[in-house]
This record gives sequence, structure tokens and C-alpha cells, in this order.
Amino acid sequence: MKEINVVIGGPQGSGIETSMSILSKISAGKGYWILAEREYYSNIVGRHSYIIARISSERQPRSLTLPVQILAAVDAETIFTHYNDIENGVVIYNKIDEKVRLDKIPSMEDLLKLRIMNELKGLGIDPSVSGLMEFMKRERGVEPLPIDFAQILGKLSESYRLDPRQLSRYVSTIVVSAITTLLGLDEGSMKIALSSHFRDREEIVEQNFAVFREVSKLLSEKRGILKLEEPKNTSKKMLVLTGNEAVAIGKIIGGLRYQSYYPITPAADESEILEKFGLQEVQGKIFGPILVMQTEDEISAIASAIGASLSGARSSTATSGPGFDLMVEAISWAGMNEVPVVITFYQRGGPSTGLPTRGGQSDLMAAIFSGHGEFARVVLASGDHEEAMYDAADAFNIAERFQVPVIHLLDKFLANTTASIPIPKLDEFKVDRGIRYKGTGDYKRFDLSSQISPRAFIGERGAFIWYTGDEHDERGHISEETENRIRMYNKRMEKIKLIEEEVPSWRKLNLTGSTSPDFIIIGWGSVKGVALEALEKIEARTGFKGTYANLRMLWPFPRKELKEITSKLAPEKIIVAEHSYGANIASLMATDIKVDEVASIVKYTGRPMMLKEFVEALELILSGKTSRVVLKDGA
Amino acid sequence: MEPKINYRTDLWIDWCPGCGNYGILAAVLKALEELKLEPHKTAIVSGIGCSGKIAHYIKANGVHTLHGRAIPFAMGLKLANPELNVIVHGGDGDLLGIGAGHFVAMGRRNLDIVVIMHNNGVYGLTKGQASPTLPLYTKTKKLSHPNLQGQINPIMLALAAGYTFVARGYAFDGNHLKEIIKAAIQHKGSAFIDVLQPCVTFNDIYTAEFYKKVIYKLETETGWNPNVEDPKEADVKLLAALERAMVSDGRIPIGVFYSNPYASTFEERISQSLGRVYPNLHPSNSKIEEEGKNLFDEKTFEEMFKDFIVERIG
Repeated sequence: MKEINVVIGGPQGSGIETSMSILSKISAGKGYWILAEREYYSNIVGRHSYIIARISSERQPRSLTLPVQILAAVDAETIFTHYNDIENGVVIYNKIDEKVRLDKIPSMEDLLKLRIMNELKGLGIDPSVSGLMEFMKRERGVEPLPIDFAQILGKLSESYRLDPRQLSRYVSTIVVSAITTLLGLDEGSMKIALSSHFRDREEIVEQNFAVFREVSKLLSEKRGILKLEEPKNTSKKMLVLTGNEAVAIGKIIGGLRYQSYYPITPAADESEILEKFGLQEVQGKIFGPILVMQTEDEISAIASAIGASLSGARSSTATSGPGFDLMVEAISWAGMNEVPVVITFYQRGGPSTGLPTRGGQSDLMAAIFSGHGEFARVVLASGDHEEAMYDAADAFNIAERFQVPVIHLLDKFLANTTASIPIPKLDEFKVDRGIRYKGTGDYKRFDLSSQISPRAFIGERGAFIWYTGDEHDERGHISEETENRIRMYNKRMEKIKLIEEEVPSWRKLNLTGSTSPDFIIIGWGSVKGVALEALEKIEARTGFKGTYANLRMLWPFPRKELKEITSKLAPEKIIVAEHSYGANIASLMATDIKVDEVASIVKYTGRPMMLKEFVEALELILSGKTSRVVLKDGA
Repeated sequence: MEPKINYRTDLWIDWCPGCGNYGILAAVLKALEELKLEPHKTAIVSGIGCSGKIAHYIKANGVHTLHGRAIPFAMGLKLANPELNVIVHGGDGDLLGIGAGHFVAMGRRNLDIVVIMHNNGVYGLTKGQASPTLPLYTKTKKLSHPNLQGQINPIMLALAAGYTFVARGYAFDGNHLKEIIKAAIQHKGSAFIDVLQPCVTFNDIYTAEFYKKVIYKLETETGWNPNVEDPKEADVKLLAALERAMVSDGRIPIGVFYSNPYASTFEERISQSLGRVYPNLHPSNSKIEEEGKNLFDEKTFEEMFKDFIVERIG
């Protein structure tokens, strides 16, 4: 096999995340590429969570897909929740769960329970795990692989004299061990992955390894039944990280010195990672300090980041929708005062609290148009981990060069997806601090003699600096005089044109695919991976050649570039894809480049677009059957 | 004699004639002058309203921010460049109304900044609405009904929040206020000064005539010593300050309520967590590039981010 798709599910708090980390490390250690996303409720313990992963021997997977070939279930709820997500594969589960009946699972949402109950009734299946297994075996080509968890844990408890109450911690290792056994991965790689995950805690590594051996022994007949081909990967090392981690690393390379945040999902992880890198001494050199400030709210987060920026420190804050809304007044202040500051905006499912731990792309308009008054800003979006890392660093360059707030749009999908990527080429990460003031004496922060006034920092000798949210004169003092108002206003607004002209087109938009396409998909952010892979599939299946336009700068809107690529196609051959209801990028196209009535593929369940459903949607659109498809796969 | 530094910009001041803000500005200017604070190392961070304009009248760095948010702007500035002397000016509506959350959070941190509250009991620039320090059932002239919301006791709130220097001054007792401001600037940690400021236009109750009758100075009382001289007596002094702040005998004490130089400042706490390089090495003086290149090479990258790197085995 060239690739395998896996779902690992269980209650929140049962170590599902640990299994994701270990599985990623084993895979990457063996040279396989991996992409794994984590789905979970807004809950600490008990509700259903799962990992959906794709492991490939061919190349880095860019998207996830259903059905999978391995479903590993820590509990019965996982089997019921995901029974439609697997075909021609293996279900790994706890033998004791066979007796569990659907109506007896308290942690499951009533609405979901009812829906599945009705489905099972329609299919004539007894709503128990054993009943379902029988059906899946018969109709879906699924092989049940029951494992007696209690027996394995009992042995562990005996050998290491463990408190029985702590045994649940090892359940995720049973599951990962079963998966690695099916994949035919060796003991050595398991040991290295465990050591890497549990760091120096040797005892824990040993205990988990004992679990692996036990499971491996138990499943010896199944060893390698889902073996992957030898990996084509030739690199000796890979980065294995989440989107949050990629952004944090990008910011560190980019010279971040002050990061503020108020805890919010799915942004907080980024700040916590940065905290670990507050001060580093590497190769005899000091890196930092990076101050990470947990503030009392998001208003303080953005206001303090702006304050830090005035002193010359590269500063940023990270948040998601609800927090961003609170920041808006200060972003307008930053626009008025031409302050470089970076807002890393991880979108989740809205409106309001919405789906707080799920993903979305419905905050495009908020990022672009929020804030009172008119001012220049830049909105960037990243399509994958590599882009996210680069953009997180480059956002500071854009902010300082044009002296504007930069909003870096990401989403929960990226934040919580682990990917294996190459070590970045560091030469590409330039640091551009923009025009600095070099004189002494009569400093004017808002000097009108050039469009970008040279920047001095508060604390620098020889410059008095005033800032105010009021309209101001060149020195930064309040002025309501009309001529000055016009000149200052123009100076700020004309930056939009300057940015449009000076930002290179590769930074705004990337095209992948056919140079004379039959159709074009336009998207941004996390749509990239699924769209790119869908292009290949659809061409193989239908012969239609497509191009994906990955928008990386959403504001100023890349109208010239987009106009060029859309002008040759009929509107129905232009397909917008977005995790939203409104396919909002289409509204921007309608107003900005007068391209209207385009087709769209949208999804707003909070779950990521899956490859298979995306390809099917494309087929429907390209065959002229519909111009809008709403996707809904994934539990 | 070395020449005095001129801390006054040449802007015309547009406060109402007779406004208490003139007294506060004069006291601040005098305090800066006497302490000889370097103007480029000094930042006045203000909120919105009449008091917010003070940033423009002082010839140092001035940041005239948003309503209620002067403290977080100031915090970012001070944390990123701890060499700065940062003074926050805000009204009572600014600091105790819209910005109350930030006001409290600053006390928890004990960051080395000074917060000066221009306390006039009204929202002046929006024409006289009741502010958080106006007592219940008070009816100033612009109110159509007596005030239905109770007042905050700023001194008690500051003490409870953790400010380690808490004082009250009066706008028209310039010398006394100047001395308090000087002590606040020199204090190590978050300092708060509640300045009683008559608003001649909208507050016809808390007038200069009124204050003249009821104000007395804490330091003139025998036995009053707000200074914590031994860390062990911090709690006792805090309790004494709280008690004094609660007394409602119709008189209003001004002067220092509490001063504790022993509490750790936020800068010290950060320093501890950042290997003691801070505050000498800080966000605004530490290197982030070399001739446009980032500071990382392959080796440093791989060492620093080793936890994210998976090496190929077999």
C-alpha cells in the first residue's frame, strides 16, 4: 500500500493526543509522511475526541480523507460514531465493549445517538457494538480486531506494581501499538518514538514499551497485514509539528520579542509554546528575550502589543474570533498611528461561541473590514504548515515596512493538525525593519515628506514622539485642521496602493495546476491541501484540467492577479472553496473584480473538507448539475 | 548651575479656565523637573477625555491612547523597554469605569509604573455624566436625576488590587501633589495616585470651595506612617491604610496611604523566569537580525527546535 488512513477515537482525556504524537513520530522516524488532525469537543474529560490521520510512503499528504482503513476505538462510542467512516479495513477495539448498546452511552450527544439509532434501525442492525461489527464485517469488508484491554493492563499492573487507577493512561498505547503492529513497523522505532514523547521519564517509556510488546505478541498473526511500501522519502530528518508550533517557530525566526495573549482555543497553544522559548542559549549565543504576557483580556493583549511595538520590539498577539472582536478598537488605533503589529487569528466555528473547538473560515470579512474608520491593513492567509511558518515571520516584515497592522489568518484545522515537513530553508526568512529615523533633533513621527515616515522608537535619544488616536499633525499632536486632515488621511489610505504595488505577486497568490485550465478553484488557508489533491483526482477521473489559486494575501485584495486568471473562464468554471456558508471570498470577487455568479464548495460543520467529498463536489459542479455544494463528512 | 530641562510643549492648553487639570499638569512638570528625568526616557501614556490631552502638553514621549486602555498600552511599552519611566494619566471614568479590569490587573503585577487618576466625579468631555467615583444619589448639575449607581473607593480598590504605593493628592495643592508624584515615580512597583480634581464646568458639588473645607493631610497626624519599613509589617500597614480609606467622617485625607518597597516588581519576576538577562537585555534592545538576515543557521535551528525534529531510523 502507498498510504493508509486512520481514525483513533476515545473520550477526551484518554490520551488520544499522546497516540497522535507517538504515531507521528514512529511514522516520520521510518520515513513516512504524515498528516493528522485532532477533533474534539469543548470539554476536558469524557466527550468523544478523535484523530484522523493519513500516512503515506509516496509524498507528504495534503489532505485527509474518508473512509479510512483503520478505526482504533478506545471506547464503544467511537465505534458507533465512526461506523460509516471505515471500509475494507480493520477495527481495533476493546473486547469488553462488544456488549455495549448505543442507548447506554451517557457521554454521547442525544441528537447524535438518535440519528445513529435511526440509521441502524433502517439498516436492520441491532444497536450494539457486536451487532454493528457483524454488519460492518458483512457489508463493509471490515475485519474486527478485538483486544482484551483489561488483560494487557492487568499484566502491566502486575509487572510494575501500578496503581489500578492509573492504568487508563496506558490505553492509548495499546491502540497505537496495535496500529503499528498492523503496519508492520518494528520495535526499534516504537521505542524511539516513546522515548522522544516521554522525554527522560525512563520508567514510563519502559512501561509503555512493555504494553507495545504485549500487544505485538497478541497480534503476531496480524503483523504487517496493512504494510506500507518502502518510503520514497530520502531526507534524513523532518520537522513534525502542529500548525500552532509552526507559527510559533516562524515568529521566533522572525524576531518576535513581545507576545501577548488571553487564553482562547485554538490560539493559546501558540503562546504556551513561545513561553518555552523565552530565552535560549544555543551555540554560545543568546536568543531572546521573548516576553510572553498573559493579559487580563484581549483588549489588553492587543493594546500592550501595540505599546511594545512603539518601543521598537517586534510584537504580536494570537487569538480567535471572539478575542479578535474585542481587539478591533485598538486595531483601528494602530491603523491611525501607523503601528506595525501582528495579530495571529485562528478561526474557529462561529458566530458567537459557535463551535469553539472546531474549525472554520468564516472570519474573512471580520479580518478585512473590522474597525471603525478607514485605514490600511494587510491580511495574510497560510495554506499549510510551511506557509504558516514563513508567513508568521514575514508578517513582521510587512508590518514594519508599511507601518500597518497585519492580520494573519489561520484556522483550527491547521492549528491542531500535525504534519511532517522538511526543515525550512532559513535563507528565505529575511528581516526587513522598514525605514528607520537616523537624524537627531526635530523628529516628526508622521512626517509628510514621504509616504512612509521614518520610524523612531520611544526611548531613542534625540526624538520626541507623540501618538494619538485623534487626527494629528506631523508631530503626532491633535489637529482638526482640514488641509492637514486630507494629507494625513491620504498618506494612510494610499498605503493600500503602495502595498499592492510593492508586494510581489507570488506573495499574494500562488497558482498550481494546468496553465490552460478548464476550471479554476479559488481558495485560501486550509482549503489548499484538499484542493490540490482534488485537482489530480479529478483529472485522472474526468480528464478536466484545473488550477488552484491559493490566495495568500487577502487584503489589499489581489484584484489584478485574480482578474487575470479569472478573465478567461466562464463564471461556472470558477469554483470558490471555503469553510463557511457564504463563500465570502466570492463576495470580494464580485465587488472587487466584478466576477459574479461563480460556483462554490462550502462546509460549515466545523470539520475539515475531506478529499473524497471534495472530488465528488467538483464532479457535480463540472458536469453542470449544480453550482453550489455543501460538504458534511466527518463526525 | 545646569539648565533646567523644559518639559512643557508650546501647545495651547484647551482645558476650561480654572480646571483642576492645570494643577495636576503643573505638579507633574515640576516633579519631572526636580527628578531631572530624561525626557526621551520618559513616556506619558494617557486615556481619553480631558485628562488624556495631558500627553501632548508634556515634552517627553506621549501616547494618547484609547478610552480605558492607557494601562495596557503603558504595560506593553514598559515591559518592552524597562528603561523607560512610564506615567499613566486617566480620568476616573477611564480607569475605574471602562478600564477597571486593567486597573486591577496592574495591581496584581506590581509593574514599575505610575498611575495618576484625574478624579472629578464626572465625564467632562461628554458633558457631565456621572462617573464611577460620584456618590450614590448625588445630583451634579447636568444630571436629570440623582446618581443611581454607588461610588467606587479608589484607594481601597488600589490597595486590594495590590498597588504597592497608594496615595491621594489634590489638584490645587501643587507642592503637596508634586511631592507625592515624585515619591510615586521613585517607588519601585505599581504606584497609584488618586487626584481630587474639581471640574469647574460640570461638577458643582465637588468644587474647590468644597475641598478646601474637608481636606486634611495624613502626614500632619501624629503617628501616621504609611511606609512599610520591614516586610513583616506589610499586612499591618495595609490594614491601617484600608481602615483610613474607609473612614467617612465628612473629611477627606490626602497624602500617602501605603508604600511598600519590598514586594517583588513584575520586572523582577520576569527577570527570574528569563535567566536574569532581563531587564538589561529586553525586547527593544535585543538583536533580531544581522544585515537583514535572521539570526538562525541550520545548526542553531536544529538545536533549538530539536523537540520537533524526527531523525530517520533505519
